[in-house]
Amino acid sequence: MNSTSFWKLLGTLGLAFVLPWLFLVVLPYLEQSKAVPTPYAEGEEVGGEVDAYPDRTLQRYGASDYGRQIYAAEGCAYCHTQVVRPTYAGVDRWRPGWGGREGEQGNFARETQPGDYVNEGVAPLGYQRIGPDLANVGHRITTAEEMHRHLNDPKSFARDSGMPAYKHLYEPSPYGEGLVPTPKAEALVDYLLSLKKDQPLPKAYLTGN
Amino acid sequence: MTVPQPTQEELQERAAIDRSARYPVMFFFTSAAAWLLFATVLGFLSSLKLRVPGLLDDYAVFGYGRLYPVHLNALVYGWAMQAGIGVMLWLMARLTRSRIQHPVALIVAGHVWNAGVALGVIAVWVGAGRAIPLLDFPGWFWPIFAISYALTVVWVIPMFHGRRNKLFYISELYLLGAAVWFPWIFLTANLLINKEAAPVMGAGVGSWYFSNLIYFWMAPLALAVAYYIIPKISGRPIYSYPLAQISFWLLAFLAGWTGFSRYMGGPFPAWMPAVSGAAAILILLAIVATVANLLLTLKGCTKLWEYSPSLRFTVLGMLMLAVYAILAAASSTFAFGKNLQFSQFVAGLDALAIYGFFSMTIFGAFYFIVPRITGAEWPSGKRIRTHFWFSVYGIATLIVATLVGGIAQGGDLAVWDRNFSVSTVNSLAYVAGRSIAWGLIVWSNLIFLQQLALMFLGKGRKSAGPTLIHAEPGEAPSARAAAGLTQA
Repeated sequence: MNSTSFWKLLGTLGLAFVLPWLFLVVLPYLEQSKAVPTPYAEGEEVGGEVDAYPDRTLQRYGASDYGRQIYAAEGCAYCHTQVVRPTYAGVDRWRPGWGGREGEQGNFARETQPGDYVNEGVAPLGYQRIGPDLANVGHRITTAEEMHRHLNDPKSFARDSGMPAYKHLYEPSPYGEGLVPTPKAEALVDYLLSLKKDQPLPKAYLTGN
Repeated sequence: MTVPQPTQEELQERAAIDRSARYPVMFFFTSAAAWLLFATVLGFLSSLKLRVPGLLDDYAVFGYGRLYPVHLNALVYGWAMQAGIGVMLWLMARLTRSRIQHPVALIVAGHVWNAGVALGVIAVWVGAGRAIPLLDFPGWFWPIFAISYALTVVWVIPMFHGRRNKLFYISELYLLGAAVWFPWIFLTANLLINKEAAPVMGAGVGSWYFSNLIYFWMAPLALAVAYYIIPKISGRPIYSYPLAQISFWLLAFLAGWTGFSRYMGGPFPAWMPAVSGAAAILILLAIVATVANLLLTLKGCTKLWEYSPSLRFTVLGMLMLAVYAILAAASSTFAFGKNLQFSQFVAGLDALAIYGFFSMTIFGAFYFIVPRITGAEWPSGKRIRTHFWFSVYGIATLIVATLVGGIAQGGDLAVWDRNFSVSTVNSLAYVAGRSIAWGLIVWSNLIFLQQLALMFLGKGRKSAGPTLIHAEPGEAPSARAAAGLTQA
């Protein structure tokens, strides 16, 4: 085989790859990394310091990034998704508590949007649903005590739970009876309680201008 | 149609190529098979954890969320990639009739690769994983694999460039494609994900990488093997060469668009999963045409399948490729996929790609290559049969259990007010099926590793005739003779 046809062949192999690489991966990635928050219009404010969607001041992780790292390290994402699919793809939004908060004007439940994962590094979208979706678990389990109990003894919540007890995240209390959470467990619980991917969307975001 | 008999000089040249490949290729093969056994044991343990969640849960390392990624990554980077690299080196050397020039460099690179996999697996296991399927290793691991891959596969390209024969084999095209595509997808996925600038696209890139690893690396390698072994053993030319070329380019131009349909309905612009789903369906054309082309090559001498282990594994691998492509296409449509999405079926489909079509075909290549480079025949045809049937029953059980179990699980979750526990309880029987499946696969790979280790240690059978599945050792000089097709 001569040189010209060799380079032609390599070029064609490269072309086959470069089209999807550019248009499906690199350009959408760059576009998303440059996304800017959409401010709320007059009268749309949701209270507090929040003035735009997504709220870039949102801190999910208690002390630093640690809780999210524990979530990844324990492989939570292999059994739990964090995706609320739109109605054409499933009934996620109707499952009690999956789609987000109950509002004063009815259910706010909505599908997850790219902005909901702001500050998360790589979105833990998940692999399978061996356990329930966790996109809005912070609305379903509201106290740290309850969340710790869920991690340490899941069967006390659902008799048939398929979740293992994360006993290594807890150690015997130095003051006698009972267990105390390790710093890892505290960070993980902070992260889980912060999971409320249902920030109300500004009208400008929905209409695209 | 008969094939011209090779001359004495050609036979000597082939023997010289095989000798040059012996140590590096056997190194990759044997370490790959050891990783395979490790990975399948982990597959068994992780499916057992789904059935009995409380099993050994005092220990962090026995969490399902750690066992499963360890299993998946060891299966792909330990077994599949190493075995694939070994096959790629030997096949390219044989097809281009060039010797392997730098065996020591290859063995060094192989050690680096193994060290990388071992460190990565330990890192995931002790709790430094990223929980992105097949990109679980911590972010700073990619240079180890990149360097090691470059040091091995860089020899494939000059081999192809310096080829002496004018004939252009379709296998060479597939090998060249796999060689150049993998580093590109690997680097893209790792660099973009490490950048952490766009969280949702990061996850999307992860699933794109997974799908591309299957269609841009595993499928081309498996097809290169099939296009080599099927004509070689049947002694016939490929049924249609133009069809083979067309389906190659079809696969090449479509594979890169797949992957995003894993997250259909997820927080992506709707066109991305749609494009991926369309690509997965169009790829069916390429896969079905290729598999049909290969099976038509065998038309009239299917009896060979009963005797030749290489052919039997390869043909089965090709049939599994067709099944995989059909299921992957179906599950990327809303009609079929919306209930299967996020169900057990996902794990079953991934296992079908890695263990089903890829590994089966590569086993076929092993049974062909290892006797040639070690100069000895496989110790036992009966053991080969055990390896085959336990693997077949294992993977078939796995895919049926996860498909039916996935439909059941998805159905339970599609009823909005049905308690989540219902899906867990209904899954239990199917999860037990997965454990049984992995148990069968573990046994088949134990046998396989034992046979391969004997060959590695030079304890193979010294005989003029190859080891066949249904013939006494040494009885028949070739599968063709055993099948009664020629006068040998």
